[in-house]
Amino acid sequence: MMEKERLRKADIFVSVLIFLFGAWIVKQAFKMPMKDSWGGVMNVWFVSPALFPLLVGTMVIILATLLCRTALKTVGTEELVRTIRWLLSRHVIQYLVSEPILRFYTIVILFLSLVYMNIPRIDFFLSSILFLIVFFTIFYFDDPVLLKKLLFLYLAGVMGFVIYFAAGLDSSLAKVLPYASDLLALWFILAYCFYAWILVRSNPKLRKKFRTSLVVAVSAPFICAPIFKYFLLVPLPAEGLIVALLDRIWYLEF
Amino acid sequence: MMLFERIGSYFEMVFHLASDPINVVVLFGSVLLGIIFGAMPGLTSTLGVALLTSLTYGMDTATAMVCLLAIYVGGTYGGSYASILVNIPGTAAAAATALDGYPLACKGEGGRAIGLSTTTSAIGTIIGMLFVVSISPIISHFALQFTSFEFFLLAFFGIVISGTLTSPDLVIKGWIAGFLGLFLACVGRDRLQFFPRFTFGIPELDSGIEVVPVLIGAFGIPQIIQVLKDRFQIGETQKFQKILPEFGTIVRNIPKIVRSALIGVGIGAVPGIGEDIAAWVSYGAAKNTSKNPERFGKGEYAGVLSAETANNACVGGAMIPLLNLGIPGSPPAVMLLGALMLHGVTPGPMITFEHPTFILEVASILLLASCAMWVSGMLLAKQVVKVLRIPPPLFMPIIGVLCIIGSYSLGINIFNLYLMLPVGIICYFLTEMGYPIAPLVIGVILGPMADENLRRALMVSQGSFLPVFTRPVSLILFILIVWTVVSQFQFFRDFKDRLGEKLRRKKRPDLSSMNKDLKHNTNRVAHNRQRRRQFS
Repeated sequence: MMEKERLRKADIFVSVLIFLFGAWIVKQAFKMPMKDSWGGVMNVWFVSPALFPLLVGTMVIILATLLCRTALKTVGTEELVRTIRWLLSRHVIQYLVSEPILRFYTIVILFLSLVYMNIPRIDFFLSSILFLIVFFTIFYFDDPVLLKKLLFLYLAGVMGFVIYFAAGLDSSLAKVLPYASDLLALWFILAYCFYAWILVRSNPKLRKKFRTSLVVAVSAPFICAPIFKYFLLVPLPAEGLIVALLDRIWYLEF
Repeated sequence: MMLFERIGSYFEMVFHLASDPINVVVLFGSVLLGIIFGAMPGLTSTLGVALLTSLTYGMDTATAMVCLLAIYVGGTYGGSYASILVNIPGTAAAAATALDGYPLACKGEGGRAIGLSTTTSAIGTIIGMLFVVSISPIISHFALQFTSFEFFLLAFFGIVISGTLTSPDLVIKGWIAGFLGLFLACVGRDRLQFFPRFTFGIPELDSGIEVVPVLIGAFGIPQIIQVLKDRFQIGETQKFQKILPEFGTIVRNIPKIVRSALIGVGIGAVPGIGEDIAAWVSYGAAKNTSKNPERFGKGEYAGVLSAETANNACVGGAMIPLLNLGIPGSPPAVMLLGALMLHGVTPGPMITFEHPTFILEVASILLLASCAMWVSGMLLAKQVVKVLRIPPPLFMPIIGVLCIIGSYSLGINIFNLYLMLPVGIICYFLTEMGYPIAPLVIGVILGPMADENLRRALMVSQGSFLPVFTRPVSLILFILIVWTVVSQFQFFRDFKDRLGEKLRRKKRPDLSSMNKDLKHNTNRVAHNRQRRRQFS
């Protein structure tokens, strides 16, 4: 949590957002049947599906107003003007590229790329290994310079994958080469690891961390995912190259 | 006679559960996992319950409950390890333990402190369990008289009280979080007329928001972001020797243990209030009533035992409203509610009719879990402490993968992931801005109950709110809600102070008038004396 003074300043802006959100809820609720017929049922206000959203929206508006009032009272108009000036100045950009914020972006980018891009399209094992190896190398190394370099490489890879999937290359390539997307992901993992190794090879401490990261990143999905796949019989989101390989081993043995 | 029958069937249930080797393996495994989750700063028992819920999907209800309650009990206790040995609370519930636990570890008494926390946690859980068994039938019977108005007000009260008591900053933020949760509960087709609300034409949203993935996102993702963004590090652990059960200290402190357990059960029973508040209140009570309050914070055993008894007694307390009213008493109980719904058990007043032995089953599991926790704590503490050496950047991403596969596996639906991540990121921002997450998730859980019952109640009363004031329970709940809300505002506090002042004045005669009377009387005496002298 932020410190009190900064929190109050932020509260002013957030309360405005919450107020708008409450107003949007109310607006949407008014579009719901209040007195008209829906599914053959004539509505009255107290049975209407709009009743509860209206209550929620109104309460959100009231509470947002109260929060704004409290925050404004604490901060004062002078300080608010100063904050707005700061928000419009160059300092904001400096703040937005500061290291903690960069770490936040990294985490969010990693999660977004995993959930919205890799998991539905690339073999679960490979997407998990990629996610973990990038996460470990960036955060376990704990070096701001390495963070930027590794993040840029990962971003470049993500952009490449976005173009690859958006252009529909995955389906056309799959006709020629089975598991094309998985092979591409595997290649990217190897390239990433190679780049990370080049960056840390002169530092024995980081080299050790790199080895640990590699072992954990590969072993963790091979421990967790088979529990879901083979013991709980949950089909994985995308089953590709590695799952096919594991299937062969599993059904050969048992 | 009925009491003996109940006790008999309770022990029958305990032996039935303990005689199944699978249950025993699951029990010990889950308790150990819970202790590890609790011990690792950054992981919580709520997250543990959330992640394990996805693994219990294929189990029968009894084994699933063994698994989830065991991790809950283990997680609540496990937080004390990091508190005592590193001075970083493993969970918020163990924050109060660190105050006296760490100084004890610095004095070389870490083993005794862990032993004491293990035994008192087990006792706390057992006392909580006793309350589940004894109070549940009464509450359940009482709740059967509830109508839709009462259920609506109860759900509303749960959100308001949880928002009030869990907010780390302004109370308004707690309430806003609660209403945001209620909004999320509105998404999907409404249950009375099947009108699509806030679905944006997305068919996956028609059935509403899946509760468990939302809960996993709300508790898991912010935790991961916080730990990694803020470079959270675990310090050096203090060395400790033998772990002793500390029965002597316990016998000497029985009244304190009972009081702490009662505080824990009471706070646990309040909707949405977790183990952390119970531990702090109990610690405060122990300090205030102690003959040597100056010793607290410097390594006082009473400090450790009061906090640890209360936070584990809270587990039982949280089960009481969860099982009998369908209102979760704490954040992990919210997850348990989600898990119970997955297994087809709907907690509430009808539970004693639909699943007559369920409450006894839960109580039996709590007893077994506390025994398993005590055994594991006594034997494996030294090994478990080793997990504190794992750096957070190595285990947090794995938790992320588990959150993802766990959310997906519930319903085998990739849309769950698309929902979980934005909810997680929004919850991170809310946490950073001082909004509590507990009211939000309670809002998601209780939203449908509040919505349905409000409209049903108004349908019966033809749009009249009068039954709120004519039905005693409704009226009490209404007054409680109004009181909880109004008491947070300054104007009410000023009014209360003024009223108190007036009442005090009425009770005690006015000092200034007393002085005047006294002066008047002295003058009269002096005047009379003078007159007497003149006459004489």
